[in-house]
Amino acid sequence: MDTHVHDRRRFLALTAGAAATPLLAACGAGFGSDDKKSDGSAADDVTGSFDWKREKGRTVKALLNKHPYTDALIADLKSFTAKTGIKVEYDVFPEDNYFDKLTVDLSSGRASYDVFMLGAYMVWQYGPPGWLEDLGPWMRNSSATGAEWDQADFFPNLLQADQWSLKAGAPLGQGGQYALPWGWETNVVAYNTEVFGKLGLKPAETFDELREIAGVIKRKAPAAGYDGMYGIAVRGSRSWATIHPGFMTMYARNGLHDFTVHGGKLRPAMNTPEAIAFTQDWAGMVKQGGPPSWTSYTWYQCSSDLGAKKAGMLFDADTAAYFQAVAGASPASGKIAFHPGPKGPDGSLATNMWIWSLGMNAKSRKKSASWLFLQWATGKEHLRKAAVTNNHIDPVRKSISQDAAYKDKMKHLPGFIETFETVVDQTKIQFTPQAQFFDATTSWAAALQEIYGGQNAKSVLNGLAGDLASKVG
Amino acid sequence: MGWRLTLRPYFLIVPALLLTCGILYPFGLGLYYTLFDFSASKPQPDMVRFENYRTVFTQDAFWNSAWVTVLYAVGAAAVETVLGVAVALLLHRSSLVGRVLEKILILPLMIAPVIAAIMWKLMLQPSVGVVNHLLKPFGLGGVQWTDTPTGALLSSIAVDVWVYTPFVAILALAGLRSLPTSPFEAAAVDGAGWWYTFRRLTLPMLWPYVLVAVIFRFMDSLKVFDIIYALTEGGPGDSTVVLQIRAYLEAIRFQRYSFGISYTIVLWAVVYLAAMVLVRHLGKIQRKAAEAK
Amino acid sequence: MTVRKRLLGWLADLALILYFLFALFPIAWMVILSLKPANELFSTYFSFTPTLDGYRTVLGDSEGIPFVRFFVNSLVVSVGAVVLSLVVGLPAAYASARWRFKGSENLMFTLLSFRFAPELTVIIPLFVLYQKLGLFDTYVGMIWVLQLVTLPLIVWIMRSYFADLTPELEQAALLDGYTRKQAFFKVALPLVKPGIAAVSLLAFIFAWNNFVFPLILTSNEAQTVTVGALSFLGGDRPKYNLTAAAALVSVVPPLLLALTIQRYLVRGLSFGAVKS
Repeated sequence: MDTHVHDRRRFLALTAGAAATPLLAACGAGFGSDDKKSDGSAADDVTGSFDWKREKGRTVKALLNKHPYTDALIADLKSFTAKTGIKVEYDVFPEDNYFDKLTVDLSSGRASYDVFMLGAYMVWQYGPPGWLEDLGPWMRNSSATGAEWDQADFFPNLLQADQWSLKAGAPLGQGGQYALPWGWETNVVAYNTEVFGKLGLKPAETFDELREIAGVIKRKAPAAGYDGMYGIAVRGSRSWATIHPGFMTMYARNGLHDFTVHGGKLRPAMNTPEAIAFTQDWAGMVKQGGPPSWTSYTWYQCSSDLGAKKAGMLFDADTAAYFQAVAGASPASGKIAFHPGPKGPDGSLATNMWIWSLGMNAKSRKKSASWLFLQWATGKEHLRKAAVTNNHIDPVRKSISQDAAYKDKMKHLPGFIETFETVVDQTKIQFTPQAQFFDATTSWAAALQEIYGGQNAKSVLNGLAGDLASKVG
Repeated sequence: MGWRLTLRPYFLIVPALLLTCGILYPFGLGLYYTLFDFSASKPQPDMVRFENYRTVFTQDAFWNSAWVTVLYAVGAAAVETVLGVAVALLLHRSSLVGRVLEKILILPLMIAPVIAAIMWKLMLQPSVGVVNHLLKPFGLGGVQWTDTPTGALLSSIAVDVWVYTPFVAILALAGLRSLPTSPFEAAAVDGAGWWYTFRRLTLPMLWPYVLVAVIFRFMDSLKVFDIIYALTEGGPGDSTVVLQIRAYLEAIRFQRYSFGISYTIVLWAVVYLAAMVLVRHLGKIQRKAAEAK
Repeated sequence: MTVRKRLLGWLADLALILYFLFALFPIAWMVILSLKPANELFSTYFSFTPTLDGYRTVLGDSEGIPFVRFFVNSLVVSVGAVVLSLVVGLPAAYASARWRFKGSENLMFTLLSFRFAPELTVIIPLFVLYQKLGLFDTYVGMIWVLQLVTLPLIVWIMRSYFADLTPELEQAALLDGYTRKQAFFKVALPLVKPGIAAVSLLAFIFAWNNFVFPLILTSNEAQTVTVGALSFLGGDRPKYNLTAAAALVSVVPPLLLALTIQRYLVRGLSFGAVKS
């Protein structure tokens, strides 16, 4: 009796084990990562002279996020199909759910989409498992890439931002090129010129000034005819997106780091004495001059408050203010000006950025056609048209940002171009690349919320650092 | 023919089970994945057996989430039950006002919860929201609805109540309308007061009807995601991170898939147990009500 | 009518009105939102220049969102899911109500338990499975997965309806020579028609409003209205007016359904849930 039971159990265990691996594989677990390191890239298969029509008749599937860049792309797709004979099928998803969709798709190992939009931080998440195609070989293959694509035309820090060696803590700009920059945003200050004029204010040059001005506006603007206006709109929701724009920019300008790298290991640095002081000051600024209900503030709330004349300043993406500033967009249209924002104590204008990029699925079966699409979408022709006639800004190419028509269009926004040119060279990804980026920054945002809610900054940030030390590094 | 007759009920139920049994496979697979340590940084996972569960149960974050989830579910279900039954009682009087309003009772239920939450968020935004605007004459124009842990939780419950109270009210009203009239007539003849009638007659006879609604609402509230996420994203701090939000963040946002799904398995177990208890209670009450009749 | 009774009556009506103010105000406000131009969304409350542009944009399939197609998809998928659940669920409900057979309670609870699993548990394996089976982004796929939402609801509520029917009527039919099947269709079913109408409406609403499954398991062929409505909140300005308009348009089918079966709706649920 005993042996029967024992044998049966062993048999079941064996079969379960044996069934497991094919089961897992059959269901796409191992989830899309390729065990075999493919020797060489599919780019090597492309030879001969460059030809736009090489992949005539193919169809490329694109996953896109609802965005003005997408609108501009869709409006111009016909010319791509005319040029290459390639058809593009696209799905547009709402921004808040877009990355969920992309994550599920990539992690399941199915190549439902050949190309998709992503940000630089997503490269840190999708790159290590091998879901992103390394575009470097494609770029360097002159049979696959036409001369007009002109790699040198991109702002160098943008191309570098999407380039990573996939090692935690390793600086960007080395390793594989996992996405191409498509459109980007610098994080600067935009302010309501009317209110500034009325209250006799000038844009802040130091962080202390910024906090003071925010408080002044909140105290005095309502009486000056701006009902319910507060000083500065900054994001505050429990998300990575709260740390990334204004906060990280000012943080970096103060010479602070999220992590420090010691021999390949990362150590959290949000709880150094200087970082604690800065975080306290930032939370204080929000309390004295920031939005009510700040802990639920996202891009939408911040930018619409600036447009609705509820916020005197916005410290966030320049495009966020741009869309409120163009004629007819909001009550504050025409009264919004741009400024690089306060400098750091040593004059630093280090700025964080967000780059909407285009990437290719490593499992795509139509890589050559996808590469032609990527080339065209990031090419001079489409991007120039998109920047001038649609709203595809900021341009990732130097030639377009210097283009006369573009400059003409943007000169109606006081300070936009000057601000852009002032910060562009110091703008890079200020975070330390590592795969737990989203966890780290979400916890950081939660910590910031707790400090705003009155908890002791030192203990909260020490707790954060302790928590992250075990997860990262 | 004998065996065919005995098997007949099974035949009738089999299609329903077949249709839904399909989910067992993905569910089993999901459960199976929690035995590994699959994540974006470990795409070739190792089997770690119950390591994930051990981590879950020893994490402060889990107990915090569990507590908030239970608070939310109990709070939302309780308010919806009381309010729903109250509305049903008021509508049952069949006054003119009631008959008119009854027709639009179901409207809030028709707005998808995720959209309702987004609209409520906009309404409750102090700077441009309409609620604060309307409260200004009363001096309440500066209330920040979601900035404190308590406020965030209560606001989320309020949105849940707004969407789902009609569900309870409709089922309760139907129950009221189907109660036999004779016990009430007898009580009226005996000169019983309203409260006495309500406590001794209405409530016990109505309760089985309402309990079905409560079960569905409680189960669904334990699994809440859309409403809270759209309103607060789990903030401020960690105060509204319910289990399903924690699971979503871990599995999809931070790409620690196996770990995140372990959270959902624990949640499933909680819902299962709670349902078992409630359904057993329902059975008891149904038998009691049948006897009372 | 004593003064006290009349006063209480008014108070009761007042309480009712207060509740409905709470319930309907957001919807009225959504109507206002949907009629506002995009640049007045955050700067005006009740005085604004109304425009139908929001509805024109939503229904005109502009902004890259084929909303009308999503609407049709939602209709097909929701109606299909409810019909399938009725076809499959009514016999199951009848069987478990009429006959005490071994394991009936367990089977019924198992059916309910499929609704307990958080969608997150199954969504990725389901995603992969659907792609392998070719069910991804299809009506069939969506109708099948929505059974998890509609079938337990229909079975559990209809079960009480059938249980509440006095067996005498069916016995009489059987004595008259009807087969059990005929008794079911000709006697039992018509008597619970109210219940069917009511529970179908609730199931339809839940299927119609479902968000997670359409989000992940469809792309552009079978996408539904809820995701579509959110798609208008994009990367430049949040166009809440479009989302509100889309949401209100989406309310129309469930509302029409509710109004059509209005007379059954409340009286209909009257037999539910009492007999075990």
